[in-house]
Amino acid sequence: MSTLVTAVAIGMAFGWALERAGLGDARKLAGQFYGTDFTVLKVMFSAIVTAMLGAYWLGRLGVLELSRVYVPETWLLPQLAGGLLFGAGFVVAGLCPGTSCVAAATGKGDGALAMLGMFAGVLVTGLAFGVLQPFYESTTRGPLTLPQLLGVPYGVVVCGVVAMALLAFTVAERLEARS
Amino acid sequence: MIRRTLAIVAAAAGVLAAVSGSPYRAERATVDVAHLAKAVAAEEDHVTALELAQWIRDRKAGLRIVDLRTAQSFAEYHLPRSERVPLEALLATPTRDADTLVLISDGGAHAAQAWVFLRALGHRRVYFLRGGIGEWLDDVMSPAQPSDLTRYFGGMPRADVDRGTTAAAIRRRGC
Repeated sequence: MSTLVTAVAIGMAFGWALERAGLGDARKLAGQFYGTDFTVLKVMFSAIVTAMLGAYWLGRLGVLELSRVYVPETWLLPQLAGGLLFGAGFVVAGLCPGTSCVAAATGKGDGALAMLGMFAGVLVTGLAFGVLQPFYESTTRGPLTLPQLLGVPYGVVVCGVVAMALLAFTVAERLEARS
Repeated sequence: MIRRTLAIVAAAAGVLAAVSGSPYRAERATVDVAHLAKAVAAEEDHVTALELAQWIRDRKAGLRIVDLRTAQSFAEYHLPRSERVPLEALLATPTRDADTLVLISDGGAHAAQAWVFLRALGHRRVYFLRGGIGEWLDDVMSPAQPSDLTRYFGGMPRADVDRGTTAAAIRRRGC
């Protein structure tokens, strides 16, 4: 029960943060694909860097037992196909699942329609799961992490991702200023 | 100004991470060999089966009996209040400072190795059952001389036990 309460609280906080960042607006999100507004990149990359640095340093200082944190498994081809489908839906709707909920909650019709499409997709996938299952469970790679994949220490990967984020922020700001 | 400050903080935390080692506790354990040797010499590393039986009967606060044997061996017979934790999962098993861990394996070797791992990770109240599950069966469940503990755990004196008595048979008697 307390897990559900925590999940609802975190979900509401996440939705509030998305809305405050302006990500309930499809035009703002579509600006990412036209190269005119990089809010999505900046918000998401900021979240990744914050969570990554937090997890690393909490683990390093002994506050968080990192080996207890669940790492989702990798299924290479199904996730690649899912990523492409997700991206196509994102471009068409101008919203992703989280932001469609935020848009719907603020009374936007396109958000409600995107949510409806999302649930329809879940339903169709569930009904067709018997056919999809062999592909869904193919090319399994287990819980892969970048340090394992690249064969470099965890801290070096953290440093590299932070450098990438700072570079991406700088380039994004320049592109936004130009447009 | 705030964004610039945050960027500097993130960059500093990232650069420091590159030289600060692994965030996984189990990967950076250190062994104080002299301290461990002293504990072994003072026989503070293990408990006997009778001592453990006494702790269980007295409901010793914070006692956790960790059985490192296979799932099949555990299903066949295990000590009361024990929990099965595979050796490879032991290091990630959360414990409290107040816990007293007693490690059990078939003979004692695996439990002794696990004792070293846990002490290297900083656990202070860790012991292993000296002779493994066999010592428990011999000294508590079917000793030559019966004791209150033998009766408490549903065992019987060795003279009354068939030579072919198995762990499963002991379990059927209610332990």
